Amino acid sequence: MITLEQKQFAQIKEMASHYDRLLVLGCQTCSAMSFAGGEREVKELASMIRMERKISGKPGDILEDAIARQCDPELVDLIGDKVRGCDAVLSLACGAGVQMLAERFPDKMILPGCNTTFLGVTEELGVWSERCAGCGDCILDKTAGLCPIARCSKQLLNGPCGGSVNGKCEISKDVDCVWQLIIDRLARLNRLEMLEEIFPVKDWSPAGHGGPRKMIIEDLKS
Amino acid sequence: MTRNEPSTEIEYAPCKLACPILTDAREYIQLIAERRFEEALTAIMSQNPLPRTCGRICTHPCEQVCKRGQVDEPVAIAALKRFAADGPWKDRLRQVLPKASSGHKVAVVGSGPSGLAAAHDLALLGHTVTVLEKLPIAGGMMAVGIPSYRLPRDVLEADIRTIEDLGVEVKTGVTFGNDVTVESLTGDGYQAIFLGTGLHLSRRLNVEGEDLPGVLKGVDFLRDVALGKPVTLDASVIVVGGGNVAIDVARTALRVGARDVLMVCLEKQEEMPAAESEIEEAREEGVAVVNCFGPKRFLENSGRLSGIEFKSCTCVFDEKGAFCPQYDENELTAMDADTVIVAIGQAADLSFAEKDGLTVTRRGGLEADPITLQTPIAGVFAGGDVISGPATVTKAIAAGKRAAVSIDFYLRGESIPRSEPAIADQVASLPPGVIERTRQFARSKIAGLPVEQRLSSFSEVGPPFSEDLATKEALRCLHCYLGARVNKEKCISCLTCLRVCPLQVPTVSKVGEITIDPFVCQACGMCALECPVQAIEISLDPGGEIAREVEKAIASSQHLERLIVGFFDLHGNFAKKDLKGLREDYPNVLPVMTFGLRRIDRSDILKAFECGADAVFLAGCPPNRDPFPEAGDRIKRRTAHARTQLEAVGLDGRRLEIFDMPDEGLVEKGSITELIQRIKEMEPSPLRVRR
Ligand SMILES: Cc1cc2nc3c(=O)[nH]c(=O)nc-3n(C[C@H](O)[C@H](O)[C@H](O)COP(=O)(O)OP(=O)(O)OC[C@H]3O[C@@H](n4cnc5c(N)ncnc54)[C@H](O)[C@@H]3O)c2cc1C
Ligand code: SF4
Ligand code: SF4
Ligand code: SF4
Ligand code: SF4
Repeated sequence: MITLEQKQFAQIKEMASHYDRLLVLGCQTCSAMSFAGGEREVKELASMIRMERKISGKPGDILEDAIARQCDPELVDLIGDKVRGCDAVLSLACGAGVQMLAERFPDKMILPGCNTTFLGVTEELGVWSERCAGCGDCILDKTAGLCPIARCSKQLLNGPCGGSVNGKCEISKDVDCVWQLIIDRLARLNRLEMLEEIFPVKDWSPAGHGGPRKMIIEDLKS
Repeated sequence: MTRNEPSTEIEYAPCKLACPILTDAREYIQLIAERRFEEALTAIMSQNPLPRTCGRICTHPCEQVCKRGQVDEPVAIAALKRFAADGPWKDRLRQVLPKASSGHKVAVVGSGPSGLAAAHDLALLGHTVTVLEKLPIAGGMMAVGIPSYRLPRDVLEADIRTIEDLGVEVKTGVTFGNDVTVESLTGDGYQAIFLGTGLHLSRRLNVEGEDLPGVLKGVDFLRDVALGKPVTLDASVIVVGGGNVAIDVARTALRVGARDVLMVCLEKQEEMPAAESEIEEAREEGVAVVNCFGPKRFLENSGRLSGIEFKSCTCVFDEKGAFCPQYDENELTAMDADTVIVAIGQAADLSFAEKDGLTVTRRGGLEADPITLQTPIAGVFAGGDVISGPATVTKAIAAGKRAAVSIDFYLRGESIPRSEPAIADQVASLPPGVIERTRQFARSKIAGLPVEQRLSSFSEVGPPFSEDLATKEALRCLHCYLGARVNKEKCISCLTCLRVCPLQVPTVSKVGEITIDPFVCQACGMCALECPVQAIEISLDPGGEIAREVEKAIASSQHLERLIVGFFDLHGNFAKKDLKGLREDYPNVLPVMTFGLRRIDRSDILKAFECGADAVFLAGCPPNRDPFPEAGDRIKRRTAHARTQLEAVGLDGRRLEIFDMPDEGLVEKGSITELIQRIKEMEPSPLRVRR
């Protein structure tokens, strides 16, 4: 899943302050699963904005809604009337959702209420961690299923580096050295010899270094 | 709400399904837990026309199936009913008055529970009802069978009076078959008749010497005692029989002077049909029980009974479990007795039947359709023990209620519906893991009267629950079928419910479909609150209810200078009067009661402030009373988060507090006065709309 976190309220308040009639719009998929912008957070945030406005004497109405996903045009179009009836939309989706809204409603200001954080997994309720950097050319077959691009602080492909101490990364003793994990796992799988392979220089163009990415499935597209 | 889980099964709590009249015990138990006693009684009375009586002598099949019983011991449902039905609030309750008169007249023969229930329901349907009773007092076996130490007469009388208050006329001393007949009643304008004549003859043993003076019949003996006829026993009494009636006979014998009372029955100790608790109480009072003997003949000495000879009974039931006693005629035992009371069963006195053209079945009962209770004679219905054989008060009430429905259709000239009543299937078993994770709370027990005091009178043996014990007991209910329902259209398979459930009830399938077993779930509310897309509804407190209550409380308190919303956990150790005291002592505190603070979401807290509250506090129950103490830490963190949200919008975080409730009462005086003081020193809430 894509993880998100809600922006600080001060920042939200600031960006929303220019618009009287504001729609707080939740996204019921990744954002909800990250507890950043599902129906529950919409309710809370709307309540907070209303209070803040009442206290500081600002006018305006705060509307609430949530749709299944904001990254698909058909879903976004379903709330067209509501969007057109307000001055701005505070989207609690990831950046993709915010931009889809902007694309579908060219005359409306769309504000991001969340920061998109990473592609990751749920470790336990309330704890997520990064697992994938979306590099476009997956190498997990070579690294025992542990991604050094997403999880090595230096994105080293031939680690570990000298900063690896007792299995921890030098940037913080709370961060595992992913290369240590890779070595441990390969040892367990009895495939340590795989480490002897020297990685060639990675082609970063599928990772977006070759400009914005686009994906087309020929037989699917219209 | 769109429920994506349309259920075709009847989802009744086990306690309800087990009750012959489908009493929603869960409903009044919950109201007791909420300290809403008067409403609890209203709920009971809407289903049961004899609430105070049933609170004492109902055989409570509900308790046998109570889900709590799978964890530790069943909820003391019967005692709770008695508590609700007996409290001082009973006098404040106004009866639901019958609809405008239908113009129809109905005669009810027999004032036992079946007749009274039929009369009650018919009266509420607007019909004019006369109850005709052969005996000088009303109540049937409740008055002349069940002894007053189990059911005080004034209690029964009060229940009957409530029915009379509906306009039902009860005429005693009128024998159907002699004083009135189907024909005479029809002539008097009665358009329908209900026969609930019960079983008032004692079954005979049919052995030698049974008609000797000194041999008494069980129900006759009880009836004579109940009617105040001069019955005194002395010296030694043998009671023949092993059922509940025999126990009542034995214990009554002790109260009218018998010195030694011996119960002799065919069954082995563990086969005895009497309830174990009844046998125990009888033993406590000094009744001795001898098993595995059947009477062979009564012994005589100069024209009077001197004793009884028994043969040993080797086996009571055949392989199919049917009653089929086998004896060893060679092994005889004689026992001396001044009096023998035979209590081996009851039969119907149907001397009226023939005259009135009613059919008697082979089993000696009246013939009637088992569902509609119609007899072969148009307009005549029959129910209760006379149809079913010896049963229970609630079963008789069920029959009376059923008859009322049938009669109502009949009077309106419509065909009588034949819907089968819901029947209790086997109750599902809780998974062992859930049992293990469910916190145990001991069933509230109260000591009965000391034995000496019991024997010297007919005063009631079982004491009532105090308010304290009653609420504590009611809080043991596990809210069957009041829990989480997943709206599958909304669910995004985030698995939060599965992760937060303290009992691990939710399960997930490979495709991410969440299932929550509505029987197993205890409605703790955690999953519903944490579900990020609000796809779970808890029937116990449907979504948004708390926020609505907050809004309502604040809206109705606009005259107050400062408003403090206090969320209280109903599991706390407080009484109704504490709530009253709180309102008097701290009028600024608006209490909102919930079954556990885990139900209070941050949005509920924010809502209170948004509506203008100056402060909010959460008062959690003492840990020893909390069914889900593991949620405590999460609640504290959630409250802390809400505090930062308040600060973010510009409100002082000190306006939000979380307290532990004291061991007794609603809230520690110190904490509340300190909070009030703190609020007074602050500006009034800038969010308050002054009207
Ligand atoms: C000793 C004893 C103890 C019991 N204890 C319990 C208990 O603890 N809990 C429980 O649930 N059940 C108990 N029962 C069973 C329960 O009392 C009966 O199942 C129930 O009372 C049956 O109700 P009914 O309305 O069918 O008949 P009854 O209660 O028997 O009432 C029938 C009425 O009809 C009257 N009647 C009969 N013939 C005529 C006529 N021709 N004209 C006018 N009136 C007539 C009778 O006098 C009587 O008043 C007990 C029964 C006995 C005998
Ligand atoms: S190698 Fe690339 S695609 Fe594979 S997990 Fe790492 S960042 Fe993701
Ligand atoms: S736990 Fe409550 S609802 Fe469930 S069977 Fe027992 S009393 Fe009834
Ligand atoms: S918490 Fe809600 S959305 Fe998540 S799996 Fe459970 S029901 Fe579905
Ligand atoms: S209401 Fe409580 S017990 Fe029921 S499924 Fe949800 S978390 Fe579990």
